[in-house]
Amino acid sequence: MSNTAVSTTSTWAGGKSPFKISYGKLMMWFFLLSDAFTFSSLLVGYATVRFSFPQANETQMAELRKEMPFGTDVHEMFHANPDGFVGAMNDRGIFAETQWPAPELVFNHFPGHHLHWPLMFVSLMTFILIMSSVTMVLAVEAGQRMERKKVEIFMLLTIIGGLMFLGCQAWEWTKFIGEGAKLYTNPFGPVTFAALFFLVTGFHGFHVLSGVVINFIIYLNVLKGTYEERGHYEMVEKVGLYWHFVDLVWVFVFTFFYLI
Amino acid sequence: MSNHKTPVDIHDEVNYDPTVWVPKAHSHGTKGLWKTFWILLFLTIADIGLYFTLEPGTFRNGVFIFLGVVKAAFIVYSFMHLTFEHTGLKKSIVLPMLFVIYLIVLMLSEAYYWLDLNWL
Repeated sequence: MSNTAVSTTSTWAGGKSPFKISYGKLMMWFFLLSDAFTFSSLLVGYATVRFSFPQANETQMAELRKEMPFGTDVHEMFHANPDGFVGAMNDRGIFAETQWPAPELVFNHFPGHHLHWPLMFVSLMTFILIMSSVTMVLAVEAGQRMERKKVEIFMLLTIIGGLMFLGCQAWEWTKFIGEGAKLYTNPFGPVTFAALFFLVTGFHGFHVLSGVVINFIIYLNVLKGTYEERGHYEMVEKVGLYWHFVDLVWVFVFTFFYLI
Repeated sequence: MSNHKTPVDIHDEVNYDPTVWVPKAHSHGTKGLWKTFWILLFLTIADIGLYFTLEPGTFRNGVFIFLGVVKAAFIVYSFMHLTFEHTGLKKSIVLPMLFVIYLIVLMLSEAYYWLDLNWL
């Protein structure tokens, strides 16, 4: 009899949680692990295609940087002589299908003006997502102290941050598509560059969207007092895990698509 | 066992009920979280700075991937509270990611082979 009693309470025989966390949170961790594999496959796939192409010719890039320094009015330059502008790029082979485009020439737009601001908009997007991660973790922390008012405020800020990020991404997609980039064509070089850009940022953006929706549902529950009644705010912690994971994926999307 | 009228004790270790059981939550303060925020912000600005100062190539790409992994580690350990979790959980989350390193090595060698085949 005593043997049975011991076995039911031993770590792996049931009767308690081996990892000392709740069932729901453990399953969230395992889901995120599987999602990490999915994103790893996409990003490693991107890297494989990326490194199977030569990079943009550095001597010509250096020349171009001198002609087109930070803050140049690219719009004016283009409209003064559209054929000449594109021709000059093509002559240098900068947007040729035989080499991977330098991200600074593709992602150089910023809302409100037509100046050449390479990588500034994506930095802003990254900052917005990091900020929303901070407000999320502050909501989790307030939940651990059962401070309902603070959970409400920080959850709302997180949702706003998520919507701001989605707005930025919609703007960037619109710009990129407007320039002629589609799943099957890419004026900036290899078709796979545009195709994988839309696939991976789209898959990440869909994660952000679902994160915002889930955050909103949890936010409504916080307002209703569901978790106050339940005695703990672990649900906020679980959506927090998902939200931080989305931020983590963005770190690598940013690294691979905008820097490498 | 308790009858259905009395509420279940969600922290009860003795009559463990996996459908409701949660460990007692306690805050670890916000100081560490803000520190992580500043580190992430600094590393992101460093990324942009290095993009415009280092020569493009394998070394710069390596630096970016390394900084990406550092940022990811800070997010997982600080924001996702993995530091405060049970060792077994830490291992079961972090160790499977080693497969990804294998995938990277495998696919990179493939990529350079394609590069040779097509362009060089």
